[in-house]
Amino acid sequence: MHARPRQRRHSARDLETILGVTSALAAPFDLITMLAEVVSAAKQVLNADRGSVWLYDSAADELVLEVATGIKPVRVPAGAGLVGACARARQIINVPDCYADPRFDPGVDKRSGYRTRCMLTLPLVDHKDVLVGVMQVLNKAGGGVFDDHDEALATALAAQCAVALQRVRMTEAVIEGEKMRQELEMARVVQMSTLPASMPALPGYDVYGTFKPADLTGGDTFDLAALDQGLLVVLGDATGHGIAPALSVTQMQAMLRMAFRLGADLETAFREVNNQLADTLASDRFITAFVGMLDAEAHLLHFHSGGQGPILHFQAALGSCARYKPTSFPLGAMHLSALRPMVTLPMRPGDILLVLSDGIYEYHDSGGDQFGEARVEEIVRSHHGASMERLSATLLDAVHAFAAGAPQEDDITVVLVKREPAPAGTHRSFERSFDSIEAIFAFTSEAFARQGIEPEFLPVVDLAVEELFTNMVKYSTMSSAAVRIDLARIDGGVEVTLTDYDVEPFDVTQAPDADIELPLEQRKPGGLGLHLIRRLVDSIEYEYSRESRQSRTTFRKTRAGRPDAGGGANKGEEHARD
Amino acid sequence: MLAIDFGPNDVVVISGRLDAAQSAAAQAFLDQVQGKVTLDCSGLEYISSAGLGVLLKTQKRLMAADGKLRLSGVSRHLRDIFEYSGFDQIFEIEPAR
Repeated sequence: MHARPRQRRHSARDLETILGVTSALAAPFDLITMLAEVVSAAKQVLNADRGSVWLYDSAADELVLEVATGIKPVRVPAGAGLVGACARARQIINVPDCYADPRFDPGVDKRSGYRTRCMLTLPLVDHKDVLVGVMQVLNKAGGGVFDDHDEALATALAAQCAVALQRVRMTEAVIEGEKMRQELEMARVVQMSTLPASMPALPGYDVYGTFKPADLTGGDTFDLAALDQGLLVVLGDATGHGIAPALSVTQMQAMLRMAFRLGADLETAFREVNNQLADTLASDRFITAFVGMLDAEAHLLHFHSGGQGPILHFQAALGSCARYKPTSFPLGAMHLSALRPMVTLPMRPGDILLVLSDGIYEYHDSGGDQFGEARVEEIVRSHHGASMERLSATLLDAVHAFAAGAPQEDDITVVLVKREPAPAGTHRSFERSFDSIEAIFAFTSEAFARQGIEPEFLPVVDLAVEELFTNMVKYSTMSSAAVRIDLARIDGGVEVTLTDYDVEPFDVTQAPDADIELPLEQRKPGGLGLHLIRRLVDSIEYEYSRESRQSRTTFRKTRAGRPDAGGGANKGEEHARD
Repeated sequence: MLAIDFGPNDVVVISGRLDAAQSAAAQAFLDQVQGKVTLDCSGLEYISSAGLGVLLKTQKRLMAADGKLRLSGVSRHLRDIFEYSGFDQIFEIEPAR
């Protein structure tokens, strides 16, 4: 075997050659050019007839000879032949007579018709001690063999070549990554370009959608568009990584818009787009999608959801969210034969439809805890009065605060549709007469409808209003002023105030209860009204102003106050005698 | 509005809203009935204390003559009102089916 060449002074000519080669290697070549440059430099410096450079593929543990651009490279396992032996041992191998060396494969010569005499094989190891490849030079010019001087020169050259080659390989890897990044970016641009440029203006509604792409992957989309059929509401989330999901949601969104523009109804559009996607998407791909259509005149939102859920319906009258599951499997998973009926949500004043991609629900902090549905519902409950743009920002802020720096791994999409609440309250004044009662009931029922107050509270409100109003008619006979009634929705219920003008004080809250235990003969209808009010409403307050001679009686009825419209917190006590 | 009249089998059928403005009309009708009377309340949407007063007055008059007023078809909401006012102890009440 051959020991490392002894150090020897290089001649000035040698140095000049090597430096020239070094500067040539510094130019930013592509890999094929760099390989040719290295071979040419080796031939020149070592005065050899031919040369080649094998690159080491560490993943395959093979050596690869790039023949020319576009031609399949030659591969040999590391360890095989002289090239392989050199790669394994990482040592220079100087063979003066190849045909005498058992490691030499004469087959190459046989195929090419070339006659290899002597051969210098040396490892290309970069300055981080990484094996880059193996360089071979054949047949020293003039018929001689490679000597110690050549070995030393070759070793110096090899170090330069290794670094240059490694640099080019890494540059190419970066360029390849950059190319993929650019392709992804282009797919993202396409994906983003189909999102609504502005939110559709719909009288009586506040509509908002936003999309926050993750860095690398994700295939969310949304759509909010005023069409002939109504307001189209879409949220889609395609599975998979890279470019494909971004493009397939874009495709779905375009197909949906097209279907609706051609006059399809919700069922047809959902079914046809599903079937088309089932035909065209790769068999392991699908898109979870919510497809809704809002009839803003009837205030009904119809939807189908292919695997997209939960769908939250914030009900302002209740102050809480109803949750809906998907109506079908994800779009494109398979053909739809039977489709379950669509879901129809009544959008009452103040109600909000929330469709959020799982990028929100499943956003996890560094500990792996997910943001989850409960947090979303809590935010909606406490911020439903805000604009939808504001609510969306509040949600995203909460997600980021929760994540505490954990990266966003999936696209985040928020789609919000809110029916504007009625003005906070409604009021009207009524002539001090029993004849006003019918008009009062018309007013309460209209105010309930307009403000989206839970209708089951209406009988209780009517009863309390009637009792208080008739008291005013009966007992404040000195006043001729009209009685004003204010009715306003409050969280989970309703608040009503009756204002009586130019009257003496009479605190209804202090009036004694009727004695309902008396035998029939002794019972009188008087006092029953206030007795009933106190049992049916959550709270009742009385205020009197001496200056203005006004009395104000305010009562509240909410879901939280009583389990039902009148059922019985006090029943036990009243039936104690039974 | 309120409607009150005899139905089949001498049952008195009351429907609509029995409020303070309508109680006089209801009272005028019920003042004519005698004996054991069933009041079909399945169409009665609403009753206030004024309406309860009408029923109370009628019951007192009928029971004094060995008759009585029985309430049928009483909705959940009305039943709450009757219970809160103790009227469930004064009237035989048959809930709405």
